[in-house]
Amino acid sequence: MKGKVIVITSGKGGVGKTTTTASLGAAIASLGKTCAVVDMDIGLRNLDVVMGLENRIVYNVVDLAHGRCQVKQAAIRDRKITGLYLIPASQSDNKNVLNTDDMSRLTKKLKEEFDYILIDCPAGIEQGFENSVTGADEAVVVCTPEVSAVRDADRIIGLLYARSITPKLIVNRIIPHMVVNGDMLSHKDVEDVLSVEMIGLVEMDDRVVAATNTGSYIIDDKTSKAGQAFTRIAGRILGDTSIPIQEPSYDQKGIWNKISSKLGIKK
Amino acid sequence: MKNGLFGRLFGSSGKESSRDIAKKRLQFALIYDKLEISDELLECLQQDIVDVISRYFEIDKDSLKLDIERQDDLSALVLNTPILSAKKNYD
Repeated sequence: MKGKVIVITSGKGGVGKTTTTASLGAAIASLGKTCAVVDMDIGLRNLDVVMGLENRIVYNVVDLAHGRCQVKQAAIRDRKITGLYLIPASQSDNKNVLNTDDMSRLTKKLKEEFDYILIDCPAGIEQGFENSVTGADEAVVVCTPEVSAVRDADRIIGLLYARSITPKLIVNRIIPHMVVNGDMLSHKDVEDVLSVEMIGLVEMDDRVVAATNTGSYIIDDKTSKAGQAFTRIAGRILGDTSIPIQEPSYDQKGIWNKISSKLGIKK
Repeated sequence: MKNGLFGRLFGSSGKESSRDIAKKRLQFALIYDKLEISDELLECLQQDIVDVISRYFEIDKDSLKLDIERQDDLSALVLNTPILSAKKNYD
């Protein structure tokens, strides 16, 4: 078995990297592939609580990278989704406990065991970022429609290109009515500014917070817009290019907007 | 009509939206981010320029000055060097 390593990164923190990693991992496994998600935020682990697996940790990614355990021991099997595994971060070490050599060995080992390996990259561009991109075959950059997130995404995209990785972009937490009112960048604006290929658009969805509260997956909420978006992105990652990138509905149903658009005074 | 009561009611008083402002600011910020030049690079550039000019002119290498000047919409590389004399036998 020869797996593919995909790093999920953003530069800026708090844009939904961890939720994206968990959701895509769950969706990829639900589509029938084996998938390991690796939390590389050493010292600040979070992916385990997001996935509801925080009570099962025995070994972590540092133990595995340093050869203190086998892949089978470090990879925690998901409670519900077959084929989904978590390799948690260590909570006591710091980001410099691993180096790029450790990571090359680790990703090589994981590729033997899983179809897909998703690396949840920590925020920032220090050692944690270097480690996370080492051994990555592909990269997904997550960004929200905010100036700070877009600027950091641009920096990260530059760093990925410098490592010969062509990233794909997810615009997360789009609030359509704010875009219509001219109060938020649209996904097109973000695409224009960053000029990078889009792999998916995710609308702001309150149910993501609720799912995270209980350690369940948003993709299992079949009526959730964010969940559906993540499932489509997973399909595209698996190579199904026929799945269209669904744009958020920017049509406003409000009576005033209808009237004003009829009168041609609002674009 | 556009700037009248009607226009204001529907939020199209001609004022630029924060969305448009955000996009413009970002585009400028990203251009400037990419123009940021390290001192190391500037020193290497200066050395290379000195080497080239020295082939044709006698110059005062110590009073040579290389700067990046920035204005709102353009950046310029400015080099100031006193020329002592032209070389007769350049290679």
